[in-house]
Amino acid sequence: MTNWLLSLSPLTVGMLIFIVTCAVLALGLPIAFALGAVALLFMVAFEGLNSLHFVPETIYAGLSDFTLVSLPMFVIMGAAVASSRAGSDLYEVLSRWLHRVPGSLVISNIGACALFSSLTGSSPATCAAIGKMGIPEMRRRGYDADLATGAIAAGGTLGILIPPSITMILYGIASETSIGRLFIAGIIPGLLLTGLFMAWSLFLSWKRGTRLVDSERIYSLKEKLELMPRLLPFIAVIVGVVYALYGGIATPSEAAGVGAMLCLVMVVVIYRVWRPADLWAILRDGLRESGMLLMIIGTSILFGYMMSSLQVTQSVAQAIAEMQVNKWLVLAAINLLLLVAGMFLPPAAIILMTTPILMPVITAAGFDPIWFGVILTINMELGLITPPVGLNLFVINSITPDVRLPTILKGAFPFMMCMVVAIVILCVFPELATWLPQKLMG
Amino acid sequence: MSGLGHGAGSEPSPAPAWVRGVHVASRITGVFAAGLILLSVGVICQMVFVRAVLGQSSIWQTEFVTFAIVGATFLGAPYILLTRGHVAVDVVPLMVGMAARRRMMVAGHLVMLVFCGCFLWASVPWWWEAFHTGQTTASIWRVEVWIPYLAVPVGLALLCLQALADLAQVLGRRDLPFGLKEEDRL
Repeated sequence: MTNWLLSLSPLTVGMLIFIVTCAVLALGLPIAFALGAVALLFMVAFEGLNSLHFVPETIYAGLSDFTLVSLPMFVIMGAAVASSRAGSDLYEVLSRWLHRVPGSLVISNIGACALFSSLTGSSPATCAAIGKMGIPEMRRRGYDADLATGAIAAGGTLGILIPPSITMILYGIASETSIGRLFIAGIIPGLLLTGLFMAWSLFLSWKRGTRLVDSERIYSLKEKLELMPRLLPFIAVIVGVVYALYGGIATPSEAAGVGAMLCLVMVVVIYRVWRPADLWAILRDGLRESGMLLMIIGTSILFGYMMSSLQVTQSVAQAIAEMQVNKWLVLAAINLLLLVAGMFLPPAAIILMTTPILMPVITAAGFDPIWFGVILTINMELGLITPPVGLNLFVINSITPDVRLPTILKGAFPFMMCMVVAIVILCVFPELATWLPQKLMG
Repeated sequence: MSGLGHGAGSEPSPAPAWVRGVHVASRITGVFAAGLILLSVGVICQMVFVRAVLGQSSIWQTEFVTFAIVGATFLGAPYILLTRGHVAVDVVPLMVGMAARRRMMVAGHLVMLVFCGCFLWASVPWWWEAFHTGQTTASIWRVEVWIPYLAVPVGLALLCLQALADLAQVLGRRDLPFGLKEEDRL
């Protein structure tokens, strides 16, 4: 049996691994354990039972990385902010200032998503925090359900592009690129995407002639200014984290820890979230999300170790490099692969499984790894709003159970096209992602 | 509830004592794991303060936080499984009927148990060696590594028990496979 297996080429083994992984994942067991089980199966089949002894050492050593500490810290930061009225406040301030603009409410929602994204690295959290208030309000004031839900589904995805971003932390770890640079690289593309989303909302509202039920209402300067102090805590946290990170005081993990503490203090002192049950809810959500992610990371490390020791990673990368095809065709194929994977798998699993294979291909083709991190993140954003496993779609569905999934999809589709346009723009002008990190960090 | 009981309208029987015991243990370790994360937030802030404000070097904080987060990952895993927090691809379960879902859940949990069981089996001698040899970290802190390593076998043992408890609940018709109701379809 083993002799037969050893005669297989690494590419055939890679194909076998792919088929078995798909089959095991399809059973519906947690991704973390599915990846671990496949890794274990192939390790034992090819290297014997003795390879079992590498399992605890490989996983523990992989997880004992101080950079990974940033994950639970940013997750706690997002969970704390999401547990408060902070999202509603952000949204309310923006909607008063933009009231007279056509499509103002959708634009306010997208703007609130973008701002909220700078406090959390998670898309579903952004989607839920802004959508809970924004979607019912948009529908009440006259927007069609498709635009209201689609805008929030798409706006929520900004959570993983605008720093801090959990997706970029994972990519940074998997590709061994600077997380600080990746964060900065996401700023301009994040603003670009926000702009594209807003432009589409404005166009659609104008085309449909949407009239808000209170379009005649005029907010006085006093009414606009009175809510502004509510933005101060956000600004304080963002400034605190950015200063800690880029002022040379702290590493990303330390800045994330400071951010988590600032957010916890903010929700306790300013938003009065101090009942033990509320505080436990923040910690519980933080544990659930970060524990889930870290377990996937741990078993992905084992999966990567198995692929590498069976020479699969090296062979696949070499085979792609030897194809001698145009580098843009390679990039298009990678985008397609990521998009299809994103339809079924969460970003964490995709990044950790594919980056070790894709990285040599990307660098051999002459692409900038930081720039590719941004492209990959936008692809992951697309995956979050494409069925059948679009996490943001489920969040929207739970907020508005009366809006059917096809309606949400219809509304989200043009925003998906905006993301494709953003990818094309970034391919034509890669400086949009690379200029700012170069300027700020040298 | 008809999807749970044997007959239409029948209430599911209460979970056996051992299943309830496992649930309690998972919750306790879950709270402990959440506490470790909160403690890490505090320690990181202390470390930044000590270094940036007091101008002193940090000694134990980086290692402590790293070990605490890895510990929280393993000790929190049973609680995350109990509360269905481990993300899964449930496209196929959503496409099939209840009987097929139940079979898939059993098969999936068996695969999970094999992995976690093998991992546990390998982690015990790994932990014992660290304990027996008094292995320490290379830093100034020189903490004995068997202490943080202990989270791995303990967490995995409870994770196996939690997976068995999940299986017992579904096979005993006291819980729905994947927590999906009959009408939950793609």
